[in-house]
Amino acid sequence: MIEQVLYGAVRGGTSLLFPVLGETIAERAGVINLGTEGSMLAGALTAYIVGVQTGSVWLGALAGAGAGASLALVHAFMVLTRGANQIATGLVVTFLGIGLTALFGQEWVGVGVNGFGAVAIPVLSQIPVVGRVLFDQDPLTYLSLLAAPAIWWLLFRSRAGLRLRAAGERPDVLLAHGGSPTLVRYVAVVAGGALAGLGGAQLSTAFTRDWSEGMTVGRGFVAVALVIFAAWNPLRAIGGAYLFSGAIALQLQLQARGWELSPYLLQAAPYLLVIAVLAVLSRRRAHQAPEALAKVF
Amino acid sequence: MSLPAPPRPGHGADPAPSAPVREGAEPSGPDLATTAVDAAVDAAPWWRGPALGVARWSAALGAAVVVYSAFLLARGADPVLALTAMWDSALGNPTGFGETLVRTAPLLLAALAVVVPARAGLFNIGGEGQVLLGAIGAGWMAFRLGDSLPGGFTIVLVALAGAAAGLAWAAVPALLRLLTGTSEAISSLLLNYVAGFLLTWLVFSPWKDPSSLGQAYSQRLDPNASLPVLWSRVHIGIIVALVAAGAVWFLLNRTTWGFRLSVVGGNSEAARRAGFRVSALAVVAMLVGGALAGLAGVVEVTGVEGRLRPDMMAGFGYIGFLASWLSRHHPLKAVAASFALAAIAVGGFGLKISTGLSGAAVNVLMALVLLAVLGFAQRKEAT
Repeated sequence: MIEQVLYGAVRGGTSLLFPVLGETIAERAGVINLGTEGSMLAGALTAYIVGVQTGSVWLGALAGAGAGASLALVHAFMVLTRGANQIATGLVVTFLGIGLTALFGQEWVGVGVNGFGAVAIPVLSQIPVVGRVLFDQDPLTYLSLLAAPAIWWLLFRSRAGLRLRAAGERPDVLLAHGGSPTLVRYVAVVAGGALAGLGGAQLSTAFTRDWSEGMTVGRGFVAVALVIFAAWNPLRAIGGAYLFSGAIALQLQLQARGWELSPYLLQAAPYLLVIAVLAVLSRRRAHQAPEALAKVF
Repeated sequence: MSLPAPPRPGHGADPAPSAPVREGAEPSGPDLATTAVDAAVDAAPWWRGPALGVARWSAALGAAVVVYSAFLLARGADPVLALTAMWDSALGNPTGFGETLVRTAPLLLAALAVVVPARAGLFNIGGEGQVLLGAIGAGWMAFRLGDSLPGGFTIVLVALAGAAAGLAWAAVPALLRLLTGTSEAISSLLLNYVAGFLLTWLVFSPWKDPSSLGQAYSQRLDPNASLPVLWSRVHIGIIVALVAAGAVWFLLNRTTWGFRLSVVGGNSEAARRAGFRVSALAVVAMLVGGALAGLAGVVEVTGVEGRLRPDMMAGFGYIGFLASWLSRHHPLKAVAASFALAAIAVGGFGLKISTGLSGAAVNVLMALVLLAVLGFAQRKEAT
């Protein structure tokens, strides 16, 4: 059973890890994006349609990232160029994503896509337990596990990352060095949206291999919460994403084993877990937040 | 364009000069006391006057409709036909107008649920869950009472139970904020999903209508627990909502409590130095919001549905949030904003019948209207 839960946590956690990584980038630059949920939905539907139409799931994933980035661009423009409130705009962008995917996804419900399958990595996948959990997954899951350290390196070891973090901590210093906080933030928010779209793509083309309206069920919002859990650190984001998906996998296992508790109540548990974790960590996280974010909360 | 850096004297390198910022209107956040805003508007130069305001709003709304039409075209629907059908079903005839009023009632209450905490600088995004809890509380009380009490008592107790349930649901993010510093925006948002699962469980298990077979809905509420009807399907919920809007306006603009709330929202440090109990004020504002959202659930269950269904009020809380932002958190303007969004929501039925498109497609129009208004029609504000 433990192997089942761990396997489910990793398989189901990919669609959360990408948006957590994306939101980490955006928030490190000083912008909170509650439109992540909308970007995920847009990514899920676009990847699905393109995957079905072209027969190439990789093209689908790329298109999904593009769709997520497009919605994030709307958020960036509203917040950075038009000075609109970040929280309100983010929700409106999510609303836009819900509406657009309902409008364009109607005919695609239940069509089914020949999506990403598991690709076992030779030798490594033979290791007991760990092999199946980590090395017998779909390609996007491997990509997400490579993306986390890559983004960590980018943020904390590269010059570009230094500028990005400066935009989130001390934009005046970046400005004094001839940089443009606005430009950096645009790039960060759009890149974050692309990652959220990729997360949505994994959900529809690798995890469920189907499209249904509102299929993300708040994963984009959960991602924003998990960024705080992960202390704006891409490596800890892995743990955050698998915490939520692990709770889902555990809940599914308990159901399969005939637990008496209603499945609907069990489904609520992962959300309560995230709220509880935030409640425990929030004080400790307050001083770790990028300084510019403090103005939003 | 506002860099979140603390404004410093001699910060001359600002790359994008911001729009003329009116002196005295800082700090940002929800409106300060109305008098201050009025004074600031009076002092504005002529080109920021009412004529330009009307022009900006018209242009923004027009742009939203044009972009929406483009999306409909891309989907292969005739935008003129679709928009006409939306207009007809929402405002074009007495029945449609009545439906829009019926929908305005819960949306206005859900909007007020955002307005009150916003005055204290808090984001209540948990309206969706608080509305559902209001419906659950109302259902619980109605099932308990049955026909044991005279009609008038039943409906009052049912309404109180719903408001209390909404209040209790809002207490969670309020207390988490107070005790642990957890962002109320995020915790209230996540609780919406918990409320949704709770309602689904109730209508599938303990409250299930035995005759519903595979369908998910609860037993009928006793007729004693239904709101009186004004005409056709229009129930007194709209009166309740309008009275609530007036009461919230009075509370926020004409009482000491409302004034203190504005100070907390404008500058919590100043409020603290003035000796206000900042945390208590903020928590109570959130609780009042939760009770108002709970009432929204009550009017929908007792006025329209007469029973509980899982997706009966999908989106009501979020649309209320949009209505509050559309009115810049002004309780009386929220009446107009809620009516407008209710008309778009009801227009979804016409859209569905005339073009066969998903009714949820009207969310696109709502979002576009909000984007246009947040980004272009209203004054810029910081953050």
